[in-house]
Amino acid sequence: MLYDVVIAGSGAGGGTLAARLARAGAKVAVVEGGPKVNTRTDFNTHAVPYEFQSRHIPTMKPGKPGFDSERTRGIGGKTLLWNAVAWRLSQRDFKGRTYEGAGEDWPVSYADMAPYYDSIEREVGVCGNPDHLEDLPDGQFLPPVPMKKSDLLVQRGAAKLGVKVIHVRKATLSMPRAGRPSCHFCGNCMAGCDVVAKYNSADVHMVPALKTGNLELFPNSIVYEVMTSSENKATGVRYINRETKAQGEVLGKCVVVSCACVQSVALLLMSKSSRYPTGLANSSGELGRNFIPHFTNGVECFLEDLIGQGTSNDEGFLDHAYVPSFMHNQKREYARSFGVQFNYQNRRSVGWARNFPGFGKGYKEAVKARYPAHLVFSPYGEMLPNRTSYVDLDPVAKDKWGLPEARRFVVHSENDRKIFDSMTDWSVRILKSAGAEILSVGKQPVGNHELGGARMGADPKRSVLNAYCQSHDVPNLFVVDGSAFPSASEKNPTLTIMALAARTAEHIADRLKKGEM
Amino acid sequence: MAERRQALKIMGAIGVSCMFPYEADELYGQHVHSDGTEAALPAKPTAFNTTEFGLVARVADLIIPATDTPGAVGAGVPYYIDMICASNESLKRTMLAGLRWLAGMRFASLNETAQIAVLETVSKSAESGGDGEPERFWRAIKSMTADGYYTSRIGLRDELGYKGNTVLDHFPESQIPEH
Repeated sequence: MLYDVVIAGSGAGGGTLAARLARAGAKVAVVEGGPKVNTRTDFNTHAVPYEFQSRHIPTMKPGKPGFDSERTRGIGGKTLLWNAVAWRLSQRDFKGRTYEGAGEDWPVSYADMAPYYDSIEREVGVCGNPDHLEDLPDGQFLPPVPMKKSDLLVQRGAAKLGVKVIHVRKATLSMPRAGRPSCHFCGNCMAGCDVVAKYNSADVHMVPALKTGNLELFPNSIVYEVMTSSENKATGVRYINRETKAQGEVLGKCVVVSCACVQSVALLLMSKSSRYPTGLANSSGELGRNFIPHFTNGVECFLEDLIGQGTSNDEGFLDHAYVPSFMHNQKREYARSFGVQFNYQNRRSVGWARNFPGFGKGYKEAVKARYPAHLVFSPYGEMLPNRTSYVDLDPVAKDKWGLPEARRFVVHSENDRKIFDSMTDWSVRILKSAGAEILSVGKQPVGNHELGGARMGADPKRSVLNAYCQSHDVPNLFVVDGSAFPSASEKNPTLTIMALAARTAEHIADRLKKGEM
Repeated sequence: MAERRQALKIMGAIGVSCMFPYEADELYGQHVHSDGTEAALPAKPTAFNTTEFGLVARVADLIIPATDTPGAVGAGVPYYIDMICASNESLKRTMLAGLRWLAGMRFASLNETAQIAVLETVSKSAESGGDGEPERFWRAIKSMTADGYYTSRIGLRDELGYKGNTVLDHFPESQIPEH
């Protein structure tokens, strides 16, 4: 069987592409390292810690495979367990170098991307409030979900400093839509939503696409090589079975790599040939470079207005509010910016009690009083690309399938450090203004939202992909996930990955129709 | 809850207009939100001998004593600590060193006021960065006591009053004074 499109990976990027291409009539194969996961039955969505002797809630129910390694999460990939925060990037995010002389311009503009954001938001359902912010464009929103009392207290405190707090925007339904129910606020989104109120690519994109008859899934099939021909064309992928370790091939007219940032880079680095001795589509030498994960910090506090006020059922769908980037119009010592996610811990775990001072009756009473007032602030900063931050393959360490492990190297530049200090200071200022007792302030940046490594760009010498996520070197090879980001912004990336996938899907469908693949 | 479920079913049914492949009822296959049944901890200590286990239990119960709700011992925390230490050699060594320190001062035969005074001293020292064997022991046993207690049914539901993990028809609006 020769498929029109072979897609490695089934997350936000792969799922969006698969659904759109299958709907457009293309014959699509999705090759995914992980197993099929039944979101209704396989996750511990509604568990509490004491149901388990270890007091840790495992990701999967007993005997259900999934999420045992980075290469084998499951059909749906990270969207199965994501928190569903869905921002658009702004023109300033796409053109950072033009605006500020820092970072890297994308080869697409906001105007190029806006129709695809529209289309994705309409398709998957994103709740939010139109806030008319320059740096956080509005979208096609379902009604926002009310803020929690704790959010309102933060909002009131932030307002005193001239800082806005807005409703979060999430790909979680605030009203029933297309056969999916509204969220019921059980407070455990990142354990896997069992009613698909929260978007995941398996249930929302791939299961419906299977009904077209144009999509075939290859679960448990870990792709380890993109094959190429002597004519410099991608011809398909080779995989190893997760369980049996049997090897196989899937052939296609074009290949899309959507394995999540680091694993996509790793797959291309593994796909060496005489033409591409340092990794497929790496004539620029940029493959693996410009790795730019977000860096975050944690400030833990108790809101004094809520101390001793008794508990309420306020887990909601985790975070209901957000501090959007507000630094771009302020005088500051660095380029780029940060935003703050907060209040996304549910009340099922009380890890902070470890670090709360004292012991005895006074300690016990103080913990109880502060339990409903506990809040974590997590500012996210934009990392600028630098030569010392990259992804490569471990020359020694192999995973259980004999494939080289990917390695990550991150060194923060002076600009990154300045953002980190500034976002930490601002977090503490906002919280104090909201009347908070600070418990702890993180000292070191922590990485999250992996991005970069196969960046898009106009110049083939300085980038791996063009504006359609298409390899500069191999014209029928595409890479669609966070690895394609030339610059990170401070915003959660998934909606942009889906919009890129929608745009790339349209491009591939056009070229298939014209017989150009 | 039953009414909400019914409402969701109806809303789901209205919404089935496009390609989403599930019947509305099917969405609720797993949809039972019970309070959760507590998994039993091991019935006998294995990391510690009887004397050591007695000391662990005493210190844990001084960290989180019984008030109008049970304390650490009442919530089974010593068995949780033993289970964690049984699978973590370095943690067990830290604990054993601290227990020897307590045994050396005949901690078990001190009255409660004297026991609390000993713990006050080590707690303050640990919180100001002290890093000797007693401080490391204190940090370990306090962390495990807090973890074990507040993840127990008694700690999470009875003491703290956890109310989440339910089905809400809508998320309620909150109000705060303007300043």
